[in-house]
Amino acid sequence: MSKRRMFFKMITASLLRRRSRMLIALLSIAVGATILAGLVTVYVDVPRQMAASFRSYGANMLLMPGEKKALNRESTDEALSLISREKLQGASPYRYISAEFMGNQTGEGKYSSQLKFMTAGTSFDEVQKTSPYFAVEGRYPEAPREALVGKNVAATVGVKPGGNVRLAYDRVKTVAAGQTQRELQGSAPGYYDAEVGATVLLNEDGTIAAVAMDLSRQTPFRVAGLTTDSFTDTYGVAHAESFTDQFIGKQIPLTMSASADDLDEYIDAVSGATASCKAVVDAVNAASETGTHSAGQQITDTERAAMSFTVVGILETGGEEEDYIYLSQRDMEDLTDERDVYDVVELSVSGSSEELSALAGEINEKTGLEARLVKRVTKSEAGVLGKLQALVFLVTLVVLVLTMISVSTTMTAVVSERRKEIGLRKALGASDGSIRVEFLGEGLFLGLLGGVVGAVLGYVFALVVSRRVFGSDLQFNFLLVPATILVSMLVSALSCLIPVKRAVAIDPALVLKGE
Amino acid sequence: MLFRMIKGALLRQKSKMLLIALTIALGASLSTSMINVMLDVRDKVQEEMKAFGANIIVKPNDSTLLGDMYAIEDEGSAFLKQSWLKEEELGKIKEIFWTFQIRNFAPFLNVSAETDTGRPVQLVGTWFNHHLSLATGEELDAGVKDLRSWWDLTKGEWIDESEPDALNQVMLGKDLAGELGLTEGDTLTLNGRAASRTVTVRAVFDSGEDADAQIWMPLDLAQALSGLEGCVGTVEVSAITEPDNELSLRAARNPGGLSAKEWDQWYCTAYVSAICYQITEVMSNSTAGAVRQVAEGEGAILEKTELLMIMITALSLVGVALGISNLVTASVMERAQEIGLLKAIGAKDKAVTGVIMAEILITALFGMAVGYFMGLGFAEFIGRQVFAASIDIKPIVIPIVAAAISLVTVAGSLPAIRMILKTDPAVVLHGSKA
Repeated sequence: MSKRRMFFKMITASLLRRRSRMLIALLSIAVGATILAGLVTVYVDVPRQMAASFRSYGANMLLMPGEKKALNRESTDEALSLISREKLQGASPYRYISAEFMGNQTGEGKYSSQLKFMTAGTSFDEVQKTSPYFAVEGRYPEAPREALVGKNVAATVGVKPGGNVRLAYDRVKTVAAGQTQRELQGSAPGYYDAEVGATVLLNEDGTIAAVAMDLSRQTPFRVAGLTTDSFTDTYGVAHAESFTDQFIGKQIPLTMSASADDLDEYIDAVSGATASCKAVVDAVNAASETGTHSAGQQITDTERAAMSFTVVGILETGGEEEDYIYLSQRDMEDLTDERDVYDVVELSVSGSSEELSALAGEINEKTGLEARLVKRVTKSEAGVLGKLQALVFLVTLVVLVLTMISVSTTMTAVVSERRKEIGLRKALGASDGSIRVEFLGEGLFLGLLGGVVGAVLGYVFALVVSRRVFGSDLQFNFLLVPATILVSMLVSALSCLIPVKRAVAIDPALVLKGE
Repeated sequence: MLFRMIKGALLRQKSKMLLIALTIALGASLSTSMINVMLDVRDKVQEEMKAFGANIIVKPNDSTLLGDMYAIEDEGSAFLKQSWLKEEELGKIKEIFWTFQIRNFAPFLNVSAETDTGRPVQLVGTWFNHHLSLATGEELDAGVKDLRSWWDLTKGEWIDESEPDALNQVMLGKDLAGELGLTEGDTLTLNGRAASRTVTVRAVFDSGEDADAQIWMPLDLAQALSGLEGCVGTVEVSAITEPDNELSLRAARNPGGLSAKEWDQWYCTAYVSAICYQITEVMSNSTAGAVRQVAEGEGAILEKTELLMIMITALSLVGVALGISNLVTASVMERAQEIGLLKAIGAKDKAVTGVIMAEILITALFGMAVGYFMGLGFAEFIGRQVFAASIDIKPIVIPIVAAAISLVTVAGSLPAIRMILKTDPAVVLHGSKA
């Protein structure tokens, strides 16, 4: 029998014969290894997982238009492509306008309230990711023409979920004058001391190029029955483009007619709003020249658009969002008639504050947009996250040290029991070295077995923690498997050697006698 | 006789018993420290969370929207005059039922003024480290120094209100400072609605928010410039709160709808809605609301941290239990010959079990006593290192740890003793192991 075979036979025989003791030792090492593998995995993975939880504080980065770069879908996508997918928790684009509140009754009511609210167009799917703290009574808008209304706004205008808000926005249009045009302004009296104002642009040949009505001086005056199911105020009708568009191409003075006519200069009045239509025509006819626009000059013109929205939710945040009205991006585009324009994009990105500053710098440089960190969130997060990491680190350290000592005491107890065996072998002529090597082998073997079992159980523990606490999957570091096995072999071998060394040092006679 | 036997065993087998005591001490210290840390982690982490700023905002009733909406800058209009909070009532915030839950608070007064060149600037009057002596005899420094922990001062220092010339100092947001070309030590003249003052720039700050375009100054200075003596616009309060539950949410919507019993329970729990309610009770003409961004984020983090600590504690307790019972089993098995001998000379099973159990339990008791204090040491170490504060020691941990460890010790030794007792003494004494 070769020496090596004898060595293995001795170890396996010893392990088998002393099943119950070895089982105890093995169990103890496995428990130690489980704690080691489990806690270290949790410790390594906690910052990533916690950082994701911190995103419940909301956006930590803002994208804004750069000096030479507009913020829109394309430039936002360009910036987002620089952020790794798993780090980006959400990105909500916002377009802000100041819209005038036009009433909250159902229908087409069109009167000015002088009450203006900040109105935002956004993507509600993304808002729920970047601002998880938004509390909505009712629900988020899903269909077109639905709105989410801030709590303060709702209280001011007295609207509840299911109610209506009508919003008006003065679209600003820039047109280049195709030819030299003359600008005329005039006014005429209307109902109830109202004054109807008109601004008219005339082409070189004297035909009307454009008409803009001054809405600020109108008085709400509504008549029933204009449309089948609603109220409309007569000036609203008379001021509408559908009416004034007939003026274009005609010459001043205009003539009113109540019925369709084939005469060029005749204007069809809107039935039911004849008096108001007449006042508008009078104002245009009374217009006198105030200036000229030369060809190619940019002219801005405002055009009022109004839309009704069903309120489906009331927003409560405790912050300034309660003073806002939120619309979907599509509705905002329809209201403003401006496509693909963002004022700001709120990003929620997980990562340390250094990573975030580096990322912001990269976005600034590569896309020309301005990326800014929300310091209140990033800085505070870094502080608290640091503490939590330190907590888990120290706890892990204390648990590991205590567990390893406990493993080695058990191993020591198991080995001490075999002092007599050691004495006997020594008496039979075994060298100290050979005894040590044999016990070392036994210890290493137990460590290996316990380490493998522990690495598996530790992974299971970390997985359970990850799922239960953070509700996400684990990123397992496979280097940890050999590390766990190595540490358990080391601990078990060391704790075997100490009692063996002591036993070997004593005279075999004393050991055998049991002193 | 029993006593002598136990004493003998303990003394004779010193090293073996020492090993048991050591392991039990380690186990006890681990469980003591982990349970203590786990029970206190919520408070400690919440203390850290104050970095995120105030979680309650107090505003005057019904005024806020109008001011914001119309961008009314004319603070003197009679209508708005009625809707300020009163500065003299601020101290009462610290005198409500939940006074100890109030960590800090600061008043704000937003007004406007013009510089010498006629450029309009936004001013924010507030407390920096305002010293308060309350009617209750308590003294505290309240102010934004802690409530704006994320600010970086690019130049200079925070205004110290205990200095006599603090009333002529301001802090400039970095954007405004850049635009006006001012830095620490420079002076500028502010023309307010009611008065003009020449002030010194004490610091330039980088807040990453709107404040970067504002001038922050002591409340008294802002009041003097605008002629709004004694008036406060909003108050930010940072409070330690309990997480919301069904009751508190219901109460927040309508405190009047609670039954008397529910009311008591709600009022006497530190829910954010209860604290808000109590603040509105002491501040006249006010409404208080939770800042959901801070409250929700805090709740989420706290819950996760606590759950994480519970899991880690559970794992280490399982480890402790297995470690102790393992060792005890091993040490009982080691004494198989002794047990066999006792049985061979006629000892009853009960007596043998009693002697050995008593030995082990007495050893365990020593281990536990030592371990408990070691555990307090570990908990203190963790608290100091991580949070720079002691972990609160809960007496309830003592019976829990004592009961758990005794149970584990008994569970580890009894089956082993039984097994040996069942075996024929001859086999045991012969040394062939089962």
